[in-house]
Amino acid sequence: MNYLKRAMLYLTHKKGQSLLLLLIMSAILVFVLSGIIIQNAALSATNSVTKSAGTTISVSANRNKMFAKMRSSSSKSKTPTITTPTVSNEKIKKAGKLSTVAYYNITNTASVNASSFDTVSTSTGSQGMGMMKGGKGASTGNISIEGVTSTKLTSSFISKEDKIVSGRNIKASDANSKNVVIEKELASSNNLKIGDSITVKTTTSGKKKIQLKVVGIYKAKSTSSSMPGSDPSNTIYTSYTLPASVTGTTGKSSTVTYTLEDSGKEKATTKKIKSIINSSSFTVSSNDESYQQLLQPMKNVQSFANKIVWLVAIAGTIILGLIIILSVRTRQKEIGVLVSLGESKLHIVGQLFSELFVILIGAMVIALLLGNFVGNKVGNQLLAQQQTTSITTTAKSSDGPGGAPGTQHNGGGMHGGAMMSQASTSSASQRALKTLNTSISPSSIMKLGGMGLVIIALAVCVSSISILRLRPKDILLGE
Amino acid sequence: MLTVKNLTHWYGQADKPLYEDVDLSFDTGQVYTIVGASGSGKTTLLSFLAGLDKPQKGDIFLDGKNLKKIGATNYRKHKVAIVFQQYNLLGYMSALDNILTALSVTGSAHKGERQYVLDTLKRVGINEDDAKKNAQKLSGGQQQRVAIVRALLVDANIVIADEPTGNLDGENAAMIINLFQELAHDHQKSVIIVTHDPHVADQGDVKISLENREFVVA
Ligand SMILES: Nc1ncnc2c1ncn2[C@@H]1O[C@H](COP(=O)(O)OP(=O)(O)O)[C@@H](O)[C@H]1O
Ligand SMILES: [Mg+2]
Repeated sequence: MNYLKRAMLYLTHKKGQSLLLLLIMSAILVFVLSGIIIQNAALSATNSVTKSAGTTISVSANRNKMFAKMRSSSSKSKTPTITTPTVSNEKIKKAGKLSTVAYYNITNTASVNASSFDTVSTSTGSQGMGMMKGGKGASTGNISIEGVTSTKLTSSFISKEDKIVSGRNIKASDANSKNVVIEKELASSNNLKIGDSITVKTTTSGKKKIQLKVVGIYKAKSTSSSMPGSDPSNTIYTSYTLPASVTGTTGKSSTVTYTLEDSGKEKATTKKIKSIINSSSFTVSSNDESYQQLLQPMKNVQSFANKIVWLVAIAGTIILGLIIILSVRTRQKEIGVLVSLGESKLHIVGQLFSELFVILIGAMVIALLLGNFVGNKVGNQLLAQQQTTSITTTAKSSDGPGGAPGTQHNGGGMHGGAMMSQASTSSASQRALKTLNTSISPSSIMKLGGMGLVIIALAVCVSSISILRLRPKDILLGE
Repeated sequence: MLTVKNLTHWYGQADKPLYEDVDLSFDTGQVYTIVGASGSGKTTLLSFLAGLDKPQKGDIFLDGKNLKKIGATNYRKHKVAIVFQQYNLLGYMSALDNILTALSVTGSAHKGERQYVLDTLKRVGINEDDAKKNAQKLSGGQQQRVAIVRALLVDANIVIADEPTGNLDGENAAMIINLFQELAHDHQKSVIIVTHDPHVADQGDVKISLENREFVVA
């Protein structure tokens, strides 16, 4: 009849009390477990965010160098000319084959004049926007051609600013073709349909005519452009090869954006791409803003889960400690009988601990059954909250520079970058944040058991102070 | 032989002791009864004899060996058995398990001998059914008899009882006193009983009264 046996006898005799203790302990452990589950889920979600955040590396003209060149050329001739630097498509493809790159999008722009159709004009419309849009020379057309590898990978389509409403996207296989996607308003004002042909004229001295084939129609969300004088309806999307041929840079491109497989590989990949491009006319810069923004809610959830675990563990220890201290008080006589028999106080504390240990095991089972459910609910709730706040802050921050674009800093290029980051944030957040996987791993169970043990050990320690200080005579002989 | 030498004790103020320089001795094979007014310090003396507390001054010897040397826990475990006025048994187990617990804790020679315990309980009028019932379901008299059987079966040579009949009627009290006499006379233990009941006091082989802070052996 050792203290372990006594513990079992006590628990089975005091069924009500044992049940109550079981419920309290289960409640504590459910909270601890939910915390652990959320912690783990946030951790693994953070890892998957790293993979799917869509960190981008963009290769674009080194503007400082471009302007420096322009200044030096203007000192010789009266009219300053500006040449957008280009890089060969071979180099771009080579960098695109890096294992850390998921996909890339080449962007080339050119400016032409409408020939077989009329442009859409905005009321505030006025010509000019010279060097920002056209890229080559001072003469600018009324139609801007945005050449891309794929419209699906293009920021304005990712952000749903532009949306294909009929026909199809521009695809990589459209390279070297004359296929175009035009804006809905432009199409309707000129009665253009899928399959129709349109003609544009180059702005260069030759004024060459180019015949294009409409394969898709897109709708632009905003009808007034932030660029004064250019209605967004006058933008035509084509393959990246077309603007290059217009500007006489066939086989070369001016801008490319690489999207990474894994955001964690950002630094190394930037370095590799830099060495492949190998040109001081270009800047290779990464944008992991979206990654950081995705990471933040995860970190918030994680730190919240940490707080839950600690708070509940501390509160649980205090609650259990108090309950045990109170129960020790009501068990004074019983403890006195054991003391009078010569039982060591260590064994008495051992009995107390064993009782709680048995209850802990029971509570663990209940917590494991309930914790998964609670952790799932609480975790996703938390995440949903974090997600909405993060998206609103993203939206706000990108609202900022919209007012006066192209006037300061690096102009259009910068603006495009900001749009890009917003676009990939929302699309990646849909991928990464909604899948908070809250399952119980063996290590979670171990962690829970460890926490539970620490809680009851502390509670027993606290209450055993009152056992050890109990004067045997006071227990029994005193009335 | 349990001997008390020069025992002085006070609570609070040293100049107002309960008693001073007490010398007493308790032999085996005898029942000692101690009477005295309430609050005179009888229970306090028992707490020293039971190794549950230590006097301010003086020593207690068991067969010539100082209790301080034997050690209080060791002394309680092997040398002394205590019967209280109430709450003698662990309420969450049967009478049988109570005694088996005591035998196990004290490391008695009769450890684990269920049948022997049941037989002994039967001899004091507690049948097997009652022995296996939860201890709290037994009457006060039955509980005291279980406590006395416990004192008998552990190896202790000294049995100390504080008002063991305090909650019992005359018939049950008589039965309990008989059992104590059996412990002393048949099993050669020293039995020391504190009581306020003159009938019980008269049953002792040696009667001690605590009057005016002095122990008087009759
Ligand atoms: N732990 C204690 N602290 C202070 N005073 C005590 C304590 N125990 C007993 N007393 C006092 O000592 C006196 C003797 O108590 P006790 O030995 O219980 O008397 P009895 O058992 O003869 O009635 C009483 O006045 C009591 O109030
Ligand atoms: Mg008393």
